[in-house]
Amino acid sequence: MTLTQILKMLVACILVITFILVTASAYRQHRTISALAELTDATSSIVTQLAVDELAHVDETGNKYSYVLDPDRLDNLTFKREVGGENFEFQVSLGYQGSENLTFGPAPPENKTNCSLVVACSLWLNDRFQLAKFGVIAWYA
Amino acid sequence: MKQDGVADILAMAFMFVLLILGAVLMHAYSLRPLRAATDRQLELKCGHIYKALETAWVEPYTVSFLRAAAENIVLEHPTVPGPYLRSAMENALGYLSPPDYEISATLTQDGGILIFNENVRPPSKQFVRSGTVSITGAGGENVVVQVEVMLFSFS
Repeated sequence: MTLTQILKMLVACILVITFILVTASAYRQHRTISALAELTDATSSIVTQLAVDELAHVDETGNKYSYVLDPDRLDNLTFKREVGGENFEFQVSLGYQGSENLTFGPAPPENKTNCSLVVACSLWLNDRFQLAKFGVIAWYA
Repeated sequence: MKQDGVADILAMAFMFVLLILGAVLMHAYSLRPLRAATDRQLELKCGHIYKALETAWVEPYTVSFLRAAAENIVLEHPTVPGPYLRSAMENALGYLSPPDYEISATLTQDGGILIFNENVRPPSKQFVRSGTVSITGAGGENVVVQVEVMLFSFS
């Protein structure tokens, strides 16, 4: 075997190893990105579920106002959800103009990736519909 | 022999270039689901902004921001006076706007137009949520005002 042949063989091996490493890295990145996208969508789903149904203000006649939150309903809220077959935990924050943000639920763990989403909403407070911001931080349980 | 050697080296160099290009494309393409999920969140934010303006009342009145704006187009004597509404609306849009984003609201009805926060820079992306507000006109007729709320991204 000549030196040229050895070099060619070496380069071919490097090429194959690089190919395997690049494919493995792309696969790992794809899985990470998919998990992040799933977490992002789960956070959106939780926000919608809470704003439209679970925290929605219900008046004396039983009419439900979607996108209008009733802070009193936060007391009975469970901070765990199953979305798309995966379990998530979340923390809720609520604030309106001139007030500090109030948080409800467990704090997000430091060793887990979380997704935060803050949306606009109305708040039924002091017999008025007030502008407010409603936030959810969700993570894989 | 020398020509064969050069051909082999060229083939290998070409394979390396292809490999690197493929890797760059694979990594760039794999970010698409995350970008799409982020866009869906922004679409959701825009919808929530519309609903918040539709339901929240202008302080100290008992009429919502969008209804008050629609009244300003249709009625001669609206519940909320024009200059006060503009100030309250722009304050509300500033409060609701996420960092690096701007919100604009446009109401139109038969040539009448009312724009809040119109001096926005050219955005890199925009999300629109449209709807209508019905107002009973001075003659008792039902007037429909078109509403468009836009969320502009600059990142």
